Formats: sequence, C-alpha cells, structure tokens
Amino acid sequence: MNSKIEKDNASIIAVDKLCKTVNSHNGPLTILSAIGFNISSAESVAIIGASGSGKSTLLSLLAGLDVASSGSIEILGQSMSELNEDGRAALRHQAIGFVFQSFQLLPNLNALENVMLPLELSGDKKAKTLASDLLDRVGLSQRLTHLPSQLSGGEQQRVALARAFVTRPKILFADEPTGNLDSSTGDNIIKLLFELNKENQTTLILVTHDQRLAQRCERIIELKAGRII
Amino acid sequence: MNRLYLALRFLRRDSRSGELTLLMLALIIAVASSTAISLFADRINRTMNYQAAEFLAADLLLSSPEPIAYSILQQGNKLDLKQSQTTEFSSVLMENDEFLLVGVKAVSANYPLYGYLKIRQQSYTEEQTVYHGPKSGNVWVESHILSALKLKLGDQLRVGEKALHISQIVSYEPDKRGDLYSLSPRVMINSADLEATQVLQAGSHAHRFFQFAGSEENILTFKRGLEPQLTVSQRIMDVYEDRPKLGSALQKAERYLGLSSIVVILISGVAIAMATRRYSERHFNSTAILRCLGYKQNQVLQLFLWQFLLIGLIASTIGCAVGWISQEVLLHTLRELLPAKIAAPSILAVFFGMMMGIIVLFGFALPPLLRLKRVSPLRILRRDLVPLPSSAWLVYGLALVLLIFLISQYTDDLKLTLGIIGACALSLLIIAGLAYLLLTATRLLLAHVNLTWRFGLQDLSRNRRSNIVQVLAFSTTLLAIILSFTVRTDLINDWQQHLADEAPNHFALNVFDDQKEALQQELKQQGVKVSHFYPVVRGRLVAINTTPVQQIVTKESQGERAIHRDLSLTWAKAPAKDNKITAGLWPSQRKSHMVSIEQKLAKSLKVKLGDKLTFTIASQQVTAQVDSIRKVNWDTMKPNFYMMFSPGTIDQFAHTYITSFYLATEKKDVLNQLLKHYPAMTLLDVDLLLQQIKRILIQLTAAINYLLYFALLAGFLVLFAAVQTTLDSRIYTGVLMRTLGAKRSFLQKIQWIEFSVLGFIAGLLAVLMAQLAIYALYHFVLKMDFNINLTLSLLVPLASALFIGLAGFWGTRSVVNQSPMQVLREL
Ligand SMILES: Nc1ncnc2c1ncn2[C@@H]1O[C@H](COP(=O)(O)OP(=O)(O)O)[C@@H](O)[C@H]1O
Ligand SMILES: [Mg+2]
Repeated sequence: MNSKIEKDNASIIAVDKLCKTVNSHNGPLTILSAIGFNISSAESVAIIGASGSGKSTLLSLLAGLDVASSGSIEILGQSMSELNEDGRAALRHQAIGFVFQSFQLLPNLNALENVMLPLELSGDKKAKTLASDLLDRVGLSQRLTHLPSQLSGGEQQRVALARAFVTRPKILFADEPTGNLDSSTGDNIIKLLFELNKENQTTLILVTHDQRLAQRCERIIELKAGRII
Repeated sequence: MNRLYLALRFLRRDSRSGELTLLMLALIIAVASSTAISLFADRINRTMNYQAAEFLAADLLLSSPEPIAYSILQQGNKLDLKQSQTTEFSSVLMENDEFLLVGVKAVSANYPLYGYLKIRQQSYTEEQTVYHGPKSGNVWVESHILSALKLKLGDQLRVGEKALHISQIVSYEPDKRGDLYSLSPRVMINSADLEATQVLQAGSHAHRFFQFAGSEENILTFKRGLEPQLTVSQRIMDVYEDRPKLGSALQKAERYLGLSSIVVILISGVAIAMATRRYSERHFNSTAILRCLGYKQNQVLQLFLWQFLLIGLIASTIGCAVGWISQEVLLHTLRELLPAKIAAPSILAVFFGMMMGIIVLFGFALPPLLRLKRVSPLRILRRDLVPLPSSAWLVYGLALVLLIFLISQYTDDLKLTLGIIGACALSLLIIAGLAYLLLTATRLLLAHVNLTWRFGLQDLSRNRRSNIVQVLAFSTTLLAIILSFTVRTDLINDWQQHLADEAPNHFALNVFDDQKEALQQELKQQGVKVSHFYPVVRGRLVAINTTPVQQIVTKESQGERAIHRDLSLTWAKAPAKDNKITAGLWPSQRKSHMVSIEQKLAKSLKVKLGDKLTFTIASQQVTAQVDSIRKVNWDTMKPNFYMMFSPGTIDQFAHTYITSFYLATEKKDVLNQLLKHYPAMTLLDVDLLLQQIKRILIQLTAAINYLLYFALLAGFLVLFAAVQTTLDSRIYTGVLMRTLGAKRSFLQKIQWIEFSVLGFIAGLLAVLMAQLAIYALYHFVLKMDFNINLTLSLLVPLASALFIGLAGFWGTRSVVNQSPMQVLREL
C-alpha cells in the first residue's frame, strides 16, 4: 500500500471540508471549519497561526488522536473516519511519528528504553541497536541510561526526536517542538529535525507560531480563528 | 511476550520509585493474615480431631448393651478398619473384709486403637506409657483400690469367679467416660478372662463398646451402612461428625476469627483500591504517550494487567511466607499448651492464600485499572483530559461480590451474610451523609479563625468529594478495628469463666440425702468451695401434652438423644445463677407441678410455655406444666439440668444429690478421704477437660490478638494510601505557595490542621457507628445490657485526630521539603 502511494507521488494527506465543533459551557463551539488541503509525500509543511487559532486541534485530527465533527481526512489513502480507535492506533504505529512541545517521554524509562519503545511494540529484534544508533546520531550516546528527569530540556527533545525517527515514519507531526526551549537550543533542535527529515525522506507537518521557523518549510498553511487564510 | 517484557520494565521502574510499595504491603498483609489464620485454624482443628480420636480411642465407636451381630464386624473388616472391643460393667469386689464398688473394663488385644495407657508400679515410681491393656491372667487397678481393699501389687484380686494377678497400677486411660462405670474406680482386665469371671450372665447390665479406626472415607461409609441396622439402645459416635464439642466458645471463636480476617482483607482492600487509583492516575500520561505511539486500548490494558498479575504473584508469595512464619511463631509461643503431636500445615492452605491474594488484588484494583484503557491519546495535547472513572456499579459491585463470597465462606448462612453486607452498606451511606454535613459545617468556622486555620480548613469543604472518600476510608477502618476489638474483649471476658482459676473441676454424684450435710461440712473444713447441692431423680419424658414423644421426635434431631435415655431431673426454689430465663417467669413462690425446660431442648421438641410434660419416674407418671424456658451455659462446669421442677412435684421419689467444687491439684488426696467416707458417692474429675478447654481458649485468644495486629497494620496502610492520593496536588499548591513567599512552617501547620480535623471527623463518625452497631448487637442478638463506652467515645476521635494528623504531616513532608524547581520541572 505504502509503496504504491510513493510511486504515484499522490497526496499522502488529503483534507476536505474539515470541521471540529466541541460542546463548551456556552453551547457548541466551532474550533475548525471548512479546512481543506493536500500534502504530498516528503513535503514539509508549516501550520502557523496565533495561539488559540486551532493549530493543535488540526494536528490532533490529522494524526488521528481525535475525530472530526465533519469533513474527511485521508492519510496514505486511508479514510480516518473509517477507522476506529484501535485502527487509528495501528496507523499511528505504522506510519506516524510525533514530537511535542512538552517532550512526552515516559518518566519511568531511560533514554534508550524510550527510543526502543515503538520498535518493541512491533517486536523488532534489532530495537536496541537501532535505538542506540539513533541516539548516537542525535548526540546522546553518553546519556543512554539517563532518566528523562536527569536530562535537560534540549536533551529530552533530542530523545523525543530519536524516538520519532526510529520507526522511519512516513509522516512526522511536530507541535511547537521548540516552544519549551531557549532560542539557541531550539535552533539546534530545528537543525537536527530538518536533517533527520531529509535523511529519512519524511513528510513533515510542523506546527508553530514562529514565522522564521515556518519559512524553512516548503509550504505554509496559516490558520486564523479556525479557518485557513 | 513483548508486552510481558515491557510490563516487567514498568514494574521494575515503578517499584524502584516506591510507586508500588503501598500496594504490595497492603496485599502482603491481606494474604499473610488470611494464610496465617487459615493455617492456624486448620492445624488446631485437625489436632483436635486427633485428640478426639484419642478420647474415643477410635475413629468410630459403637456402643451397645448386648453383643452385636457378627456381620457388622465383617463389614468393618471389608473396609480395612482396625477394630477393638471393650466391655464395661460395675461389680462389687470383696477382699480382706472390705467391699468396694468398681468399674470393670475388659479390653481386647488391639485396645486402644488411638492414645495410650499410663501405668506404674509403686505409688511414686515413674509412670510408663503403654499401648495395650493387661495380658490374660493379669489385672490393672486404680491406686485407691489397693488401699480401699488393703491390697498391694502382686497380690491376687478376685473379679467374680476369677482370681487375677495385680500387675500394674493404671493411672490413665484415653477413653474414660464420665458415666457411672468409669466413675467408680477402675479395674482393667483382658477380655479373654471375661467369661471366666462369670459376672456377666444373660440380662446383667453391661456396656459394650466396639472401636473402629481407618480412613475418614471408609469410616463414614461404614457409618452410613451401620446406621439403619442400629437398635434403639445402640449408639454410634465418630470423630468427624460427632466430635465431642468443646463448648460453644470454640464455634463462636472460629466465626470471629473468620470474620475478623475478612475485616483485615477489607481494610487492605481499601488501601489497595486507593493505591491503585493513585497508580492509575499517575499513569495517565504514560498511557497517552503509549496510545500516541500506536498502542491499542487492549494492549495498554494488557500491559497493566500483566504488571498487576506479577505484583499479585510476588506479593502473595511474600504474604504466604509471612503468614506461614507468623503461624509457626504463634504455634511456637503456644507449644507448651498444645499436645505433643500437632497436625502438619497443609500446602493447600498456602495455595488458597495465593489465590486469595490474586482475587483480592483484582477485586479491588481492577476498576481503577480499567480506567487506563479509556485514556485518550489526545491527552498528550490537552492535559486536562481525564478518562471517565469506572462506573460505580463496577467499583462497588466487584468488591461486593468478593465480600459476599468471603463472608459466606465463614458464616455458611446467606441471610446472615446479606444482613452483614446490608448493615455495612447502610453504615457507609450514613457515614458519607454525616461526613458531607460535617465537612460543609467547617465552612461556617472560616469567618472566625485566623489565616493558618482558614487555609487549613478551607480545603475540607472545597474538595468535599475527595474528602468524603478519605473520611469513609478512615472511619470504616476505625470502625472495623473498634468493633473487632470490642467483640474480642467480650469474647475473652466470656471465656474468663473457663479460665478462672477457681472454676469447679470436680463433680460429686450419688450423694445420699443423709450424707449431704456431713459432706458439706467436711468440704468446708477442707477449705473447699462447694456450689449448690441439687437433688437428682432419674426419669424419662414420655409425652408432651397428650402426644407420646416418639411421635414428635424425629431421629437425628437434637431432642433425640435427650429422649431415648433417662434424664436427670431436679427441683429448685431458684434457678441456677448462670441460667437465664428466656420465656415465662420463675416466681419466688412457684406452684407445684411446674417445670422449667432448657431452651434448645424445648426448641427441638417444639415445647412451648404452658405445655404439659409427662414423665415416667420409678414406673409412676408425673405431669408438670412448662412455666419457663431457660438458657443454660453448658460450658460451665456446674450441675445443669434440662428440666427443673418446682418444689413439691417430684420430691417424693428416691433421689441423690449432685454438686461441683474446685479442688487444687495439691489437695487431690482429699478425694481419697472423701471416697473412703462416702463409698457410694461418685467423684468425677473434669480437670483434664477443663485444662483442655483452657488451652484451646488461650490459643484462640493469641490468634485473635494476631489478627488485631494485622488489622492495625492494614489500617495504617489505608492512612498512608489516603494521604498519598492527594499528595501530588498538595505538592503542586505547596510549591506555588512557597514561590509566592509562604513560609514552610505555615505550610506545615496547614497540613497538620487539615489532617487532624479530617481525622477527628472520621473518629467521631466511627465511634458513633460503632456504638450503634454494638447497641444493635447487644440489644437484638446477645440480649445484653448496653452501656455507652464514654472513654472510647472520647479517646477514639482524639487518637484519630492525632494519628491521622501525624500521618498527614509525615506523609506530606515532601510538600514543604521538595525544591520548587524540581517539582516544577517534573510537571
Ligand atoms: N475540547 C475543547 N473544549 C473547549 N474548547 C476547546 C477544546 N479543544 C480546543 N478548544 C479551544 O479551541 C481553541 C483552539 O485550541 P488549540 O487547537 O489548542 O489552539 P493552538 O494550538 O492554535 O493554540 C482554543 O481556544 C481552545 O481553548
Ligand atoms: Mg497548541
């Protein structure tokens, strides 16, 4: 399935008439409306907009962490609305990687174990070598057995990067990956992110409110109050 | 495989960070206490079976006045049962111009099948333990036969027509019964010599006993086959179904032990549920990350179930080991009270302990764990997204099913079980309601107190929901402890009668009218305290109203035994001191031809007040009307009677007297003197039986104390589990307040105030519920007077405030000690 899509070079993500409405205290609240775009394989796209404009919500829908109220999302030719929770989990595991603003490492596991985690899920025998190679690649070969709480923010985010790339995902979602970091550390992370992205030919969807960062992507989608402008 | 591996990883990390310590401890305590108690009870029980077998000198005993059919013995052979026979009768011996009524016992070669005899040569040489009776041609006698008949060892003694050689003094036989033949001094001969004595002619009065021993299964098969063949005068008794009861004390104690170990399990269960809740809340984030990485819901659940299965196995193993050790320690401390041969612990009990551990763990931990399944991966982006809690039905339903199962194990009575559960549910509701009111009431105080108190109190009314849960946990734990402590105290007090040093240990029977005064005098001179002398008339109950008893009494019913033999009837002006009138009246001036009947017999014979009972006494008929029903404590070693007539009803019949008294061991020689002065009198020494009851009660008291320790430990765990559930949010607010400039001492005081007040409320409610429960128990069940225990009512809330305040203070010390930086970073 994946190889076919790569050959056609068709859209890896297709979004059409996407809407998200939630029930708040003051009645229904529309967070996203009439969103539509296509992203092709290996493309890098920045989603920008002010805080509260709906960027994270869009990302969560694209990654199948949440379900849309209406409209359609196709990832790798698979309609998200046809998948249940577990189907979406399987899709995430096969094809999607994440990097978050607040790192989201398992506090119980050390750096190496955190990176091995997604591989172990599929029973990969080479989990350990692949994981330590990648940690080496992000410059953490000396910190393999450190727990997240023993690492600095920048180091934690590098572990998260290694974890995101270790499964060689088709698509990488990054939600404000530098939001919790100082600017020079943030710059290093971004540099690493784009390097790894290039090496792996990953489709990158980067959420940010930082114009400078967005410029490094091939395309920019700007949100304002839940709509594309 | 992969998930198990990951589960192990998680487990290792979590246990290192102390996340699981509380959970494990709670489970260990639950398993340890139930294993210890079931092992202990099982061993004591089986030890008592051994002892019962010794008392019968057999597993099954058939008694019959006449020889039994040969086919019965053959049936025994077919089932591989070992057999022996004894024949007992009274006979008057005459030597050196002295007469003596003795109880002769002729024993077969295999006698005794269980137990041993003690024999000796001269008075003061060492006793010897043997496992057989005298050889043919020899006779063994009790020591005071020698003095009474002016004989010595080695002399000849004529039993009937046969002269036998006195070879040993016999001082102990396992199956000595408290009936007429055993009470007269013992003469033991070999049954091979029985015929030669020519004492037993056709129609002469003798008791024949046929002993059988074998496996439980074969014994019971044999019994089932035997029962339909029995004649009216034949009786069977076996160690499994008719074990001589050591009084109701034992039964009460067994129930109490069982129910108390459930209390321990329940308290531990509360701790487990609380600890698991915190555990699962602390794993929401990890679960969201796993879900984000592509874990399916069931895979997440499996991961945690594996962990808990491992926890359950590890903790149960440790718990079993601890239980085993404590039970060994318990038996070791009691070893001087126990028979030399104690039943081995059964491995099965350990297996059940393991099972119990897993069941208890999942019964209380599953609902909070299931919540993890519902964690949304979206939580990664939105921290406030908490999964719905498991439905209340599941949470309480599972624990409820578990409890019903456990309680019915010990009560064997569905109505009682449901009653207990219903009472528990009702108390929970009441406590929750009152806790709500009290917590709300603290708000009224806010306007009148200083800043520290205001900060300490305001969370109580603000986080009402979680505080009610905490109060519930604390006060049910306290309630359980108070109740089991109170019942324990009452049980032990109840037993003090047995344990009292001066409880009567001898009965004097067959005291004639004209000897009564003299005997009373003589005992008084010896400084012996005697209880009341009751007249005894032998008689048989033949009809109730106009119906013959045979038509009323079904076989197997309790009344059966009492009806097919002569009863000891008595009359008295006043009821015995420890008897309690449960129906009717016992006026100080009783009309003649009235009778007071014992409660259980009345129930079994369906006798009501006003019924007319007809007795046959010395071939005359006497009718009396039931004027009261009495509850009799058969456990006390005082003369007690099924029927107590009013004076002037049966006085005219020939009667003897019975009394009981206490005789210290060093005064035993008084007995010989008494027997010499009153040769016709029968003395019954119940010291051995008393000793045994005493021993068992001491064992049980020790076991009960053990349980209380376990319950207290479990209670402390609940305390810490409860403190921990709110620890995270406390740390967070604490850090924020410190960054805003609050002093550490200020924060410490706040914690101290909040927990103490919580503890005080919990203590107050626990005392209230406990007094209500005890009142209900005393008033409706035990029919005892109820007094409010004021000390307890004051002490418990104060102690609870102190301890819970301390535990909260100690448990939340990290709130004031952790560096704000570290906390903010870990968030
Ligand atoms: N479940 C929800 N309930 C109520 N409001 C929500 C919910 N999810 C998102 N929102 C609101 O929708 C808006 C968009 O949120 P978000 O996608 O996080 O914005 P961004 O990431 O661009 O800052 C915000 O105003 C947020 O408060
Ligand atoms: Mg956002």
